[in-house]
Order: sequence, then structure tokens, then C-alpha cells
Amino acid sequence: MNSQVSIVNKQEKSKSAVSSKERVSRILHKYGMLMILIALIILMSFLSPTFFTTGNLLNIVRQMSVVGIVAIGVTIVIITTGIDLSSGSVIALVSVVAASFAHPDTYPFFVPILIGLGLGLLTGVINGTIISKAKIAPFIVTLGMMTAARGAALLFSDGRPIGNLSDSFKFIGQGAVFGIPVPIIIFAFVGVVSYILLNKTKFGKYVYAIGGNEQAAIIAGVNVDKYKIFVYGYAGLLSGLAGIILTSRISSGQPTAGVMYELDAIAAAVIGGTSLAGGIGTIGGTIVGALIIGVMNNGLDLLNVSPYWQQILKGVIITVAVFIDSRKNRKS
Amino acid sequence: MRFSKNFISMVILLLFTMFVAVGCSGKQGASEPTTKQSGGSKKIVIGAALPDFDDKWLSYLQDGMKEYAKTQKDVEVIYVDAMNDASKQLSQVENFIQQKVDAIVLIPVDTVSAPEMIDKANQANIPIVVVNRIFDGVDKATAYVGSESIKSGIMQMEEVAKILGGKGNIAIMNGQMGHEAQIKRTEGNKEVIKKYPNMKVVLEGTAEWDRAKGMSLMENWLNSGKNIDAVVANNDEMAIGAIMALEDAGKLDDVVVAGIDATPDALEYVKSGKLKVTVFQNARGQGQGGLETAIKAAKGEKVEKFNWIPYELVTKDNVEEYIKKWQ
Repeated sequence: MNSQVSIVNKQEKSKSAVSSKERVSRILHKYGMLMILIALIILMSFLSPTFFTTGNLLNIVRQMSVVGIVAIGVTIVIITTGIDLSSGSVIALVSVVAASFAHPDTYPFFVPILIGLGLGLLTGVINGTIISKAKIAPFIVTLGMMTAARGAALLFSDGRPIGNLSDSFKFIGQGAVFGIPVPIIIFAFVGVVSYILLNKTKFGKYVYAIGGNEQAAIIAGVNVDKYKIFVYGYAGLLSGLAGIILTSRISSGQPTAGVMYELDAIAAAVIGGTSLAGGIGTIGGTIVGALIIGVMNNGLDLLNVSPYWQQILKGVIITVAVFIDSRKNRKS
Repeated sequence: MRFSKNFISMVILLLFTMFVAVGCSGKQGASEPTTKQSGGSKKIVIGAALPDFDDKWLSYLQDGMKEYAKTQKDVEVIYVDAMNDASKQLSQVENFIQQKVDAIVLIPVDTVSAPEMIDKANQANIPIVVVNRIFDGVDKATAYVGSESIKSGIMQMEEVAKILGGKGNIAIMNGQMGHEAQIKRTEGNKEVIKKYPNMKVVLEGTAEWDRAKGMSLMENWLNSGKNIDAVVANNDEMAIGAIMALEDAGKLDDVVVAGIDATPDALEYVKSGKLKVTVFQNARGQGQGGLETAIKAAKGEKVEKFNWIPYELVTKDNVEEYIKKWQ
């Protein structure tokens, strides 16, 4: 309370002289990561003449749309102080199951999509139910799901990729509408829907309330268990969607797909300003976080940086980006 | 509280059912050996410890052993399945030692626990032949039978060099960095490239054995503005990813793509002319060679320490032959 009052006072006192400085710091606070993304893009454009072309920029967003969609679900989970480690394995499970329903001349293309989405949702609801009802830590429950879903994917597919998919199913990952790849359109759609969910609905208000102080939310009469199941269910649904896009994109259901995607997704969320302590995080931030990872992957490939160095650089950039962001938060 | 109790009992019940189901579906792994040297007959008994009966490639290796066993008189082979569990495999090898088999054929589940199994067989003075999976300390075994990873990289790259006429820009797609197969296959590639002054590596990256990552890497490479004449991938899945990205960009006709493994999917790509080269690791040959060496060792004959089974090059000319192998 006090700090808020003092900020207001300060603003009033120095309306003319200091306010521009204040404004800069506020803009920095809100858009810091976006500026880091822009700085990275400018840097890469100087280093590689082919980086800043429409084709390559679309390429980056398309490559990140699978992890980006997962990251949006994970962001909402992390806001409730949870975590979801199962995303990558759920992608693999959905991939092989959806692929087996997507052979040409068997089912219409929406059947594998609905089955994939349903399966993703189911895994999420199982996560959420165990976490909220049995009161087991999300880390453990989703770690269990990560292992079990991977096993189920291998079991279902006998450890082998499932190919021969129909053209209509392949359109989801490989098609384009008005020159924009379908995965990007789906990514944007998920971003908008999730933004509305989180900012314009009761659901969103409760998600932040649970993350800010779960006990207070319970006392205030929020059905925390129900909303947690929603949150993990939604994350599972988005993992399922990501699995469908990936499968369609590579024309094959792969039991080994999605390895480490959960960590990329968590990294995107955290780079985008989501706090692992809960209560803080935005969809826009996560999308920026995902794009930062995408720009790095792409730029380092374009520059032909050795695969060993790529890993080190990625680690350093992620840490530095979050460090800058956290210092900025502290100052303002 | 009551709910959570019910919940826990439900979970326990579920787990129990799962274990029973798994137990029932499990194969009859360690079948007891039938009579052995009961009378004066000199029947040779070989214990074969395999990591996983469900693995398709290994099943061809086992077929190779079975076919060879049929041609041999007075040889009995006992096959056991470790179901990819290293500790299970260790106890299976111990059982073989207890049964006093004449020789053991071992395909290790993992190469970390394998030296211990070799020690145990050596202590009991039972010859042990390691097949397919090589590791430091394998020389303590009686013999090793397998293929040399670096040879597949050499064979792959030589065919690409032939197609390109000995010159061009090469992009190397690595598997997971640090894996034995990644290191050796790439090493083999580079050994060949060094021999051609007009051929050079212009791009090198990792796609971690994964098709989706191979596709992304290729897309990025295509945007790098570098001229690429051939993409040489450590395995077929990444090569297929590269092909898909090249097809999207309409550039597949300008670029030669090569993989390794000759998986069923890859063979279809070879057949359609999109994948120019892949390399087949001879499973039957390794199985036959492994058993042959073990029988020799059991008879007390001298055996070579390292027995290399050659890789086989697969191109559009001979692809049908390999497609048949997977059927």
C-alpha cells in the first residue's frame, strides 16, 4: 500500500521534469523482453544478411508455434504455482494415436483431430485431478505423466513411426492460407483465446488469485480444485493440439517426438516474465519468450555456429535475459 | 479424508491390475534348458541373452542366429529376453553360468552394466561373445561381433561424393551430440570429404536424431543463403526431415540427401528417388556371426577378437531387396 501511495505522490510532484524518466522505466518494465527480442532481431540482421526476410521470419514463427502453443498452456499452469512436465510426452502420445486415425480413405480429417485433442485433455484432467484431489505436488504428478505417456506412446506404436497420412490431415501442419502457414494461424488463435480467458473472464481472475495466495482464494470461496483441473486440462488440450500440428507437419506419428519440449515451453514462459513463484505471467510475454528462443535457434543455425557452442550460448542468453528482466522489476 | 483413503485404495488397485496385466502379457522369457549333456552326447548349449524381443531390428538378428543354428548339428540355443532391463539381463547371464552353458552370446541392454557380465563369465571360464553393441572393455570378452560405426559414415559419404562427382558443398546433420554413432558417423563423413579438395563442409548442426528437428534445421539452412549440394545426415529420420523441408522450398532436385539405417520409411523415400543414399546394418549377418563365433569358442577353437560385419549400401538400384527384408 505504502509503496503505491509513494509512487502516486512522486508522480504528482514531478509531473513535468521526472515524468519522462518514469515513463521510460515503466515502458521498460512492461516491454523489457519485447525490447530484448527486437535487439536480438536487429543483431541477427546485421550478422546474417538473409535473416530479416519475410520467408525466414515466417519460418521462425512457424517453427516456434508448436512449442509456443504448449508454452501458453504451461504459463497458465505456472501462474497457479504449478508446473507441467508432461507436455512433450503427451505430444508423442497424441502424435501416434492421431496418426493411426489419419490414414487416407479411413476417417475424415476431423476424427484424428478430435481424438488427439480429447486425449490431450484427458491427460491434463488426470494431472489436475490427482494434483487437486490427492494433494500431490504438480512436479511429481506431471513427472509421472511424462514417463507414463511416453511409455504409452511407445507401447501404442510398437516403438515405430506411423506414416501414410491423408492430405487433408497434412494441411494442418503444412498448408497455408493467404501465404500464412496454418500452424501460425492456430498459434495466433490460441494466443487470442488464451488472452481473453486470462484477462476477461472469471476463470482468469481466479487463476491469478490462486497463484497469488491459494489460501486467500479458498477463503474467498473460489473452488480451487475445480479451477486447477481446468487449468491442467487446458494445458493438456494445448499439448494435444501441438501434437496434432507436429504430426501433420512431419507427416508421421512419432513415439519419440517432443523430447524436451516441456523444458523449452517452461523456458519460453519464464523468459516471458512468468514467475515460477506463481501469480505473475502474461500470454503476450510468453509469446515473446517463445520468439526469443526461436530467433536464437534460427540465427545460430544461419550463422553456422557449432552445435556445442549453440547449447552454451542458448543457456547464457536465457539466463542473461531473465536476469536483466528481474533487475528491471526490482528497480521499478 | 475419507475421499483420499478411497482414492489411495483405488490407485493401489489400479497399479495392481496393471502389474498383473503386464505379468500376464510378458513372454515366457527364461525357459529352462532341456536336458544337457545327459548322456555321452556332446551337445553344445549356447545361452543367448537378448535385450528386447519386440525390437524389429533385433528380431532380424535373432532370425540370423536361428537360421544358423538350424544348419548346425548338436547345437541348442536358449534365447532369453531382458525386456530392456539391465539388472534382469545380469541375472539371466548369471543363470546361464549356473546352468554351465558352453558359451554365451550377449547383446547388452546397456553398455555400462556389460563389463560386469563379462567378468562373471570369465570367472566361470565360460566363453562370452558380445554382439552389436560395443564399449570400452569389450576386449575382455572372448570376442566381439558387430559393425564399425565409422564405416557407415565412410560408405554413405563415398556414395554421395560419387553422385556429386567429387565436388560440392556438404551440410552435415548430426544426431545427438556425444552419442557414439553421432561421433563415428560424422568422423567417417569427414574422413572422405578430406580426400576431395573440391568438397567442403559448409554447414554443420544437430537435429538430435529427430525428424521434426531435422526439418527445422534444414529450413534454417535454406534461409542461410549458403549453397548446399548435399545433406548428409547421421540417420534416416533427420534425412527425411531435410527432404520434407527441401520439398516445401522446391529445392529437392538440387540437393542430394543421404541417411543411415535403412528404416522402412527411409526405404520408401529411396524407392521414390527422394533419398539418394542410405546404409543398412546387417542384422542377420551379425546374429549369424555371433552364434558362429560362440560355437567355435565353445568347441575350444581359436576365434578372432573383433569380427566386423560389413554395412551394405542402399540406393534406388537395390532398394527392393531391402524392402523385402522388413516384411
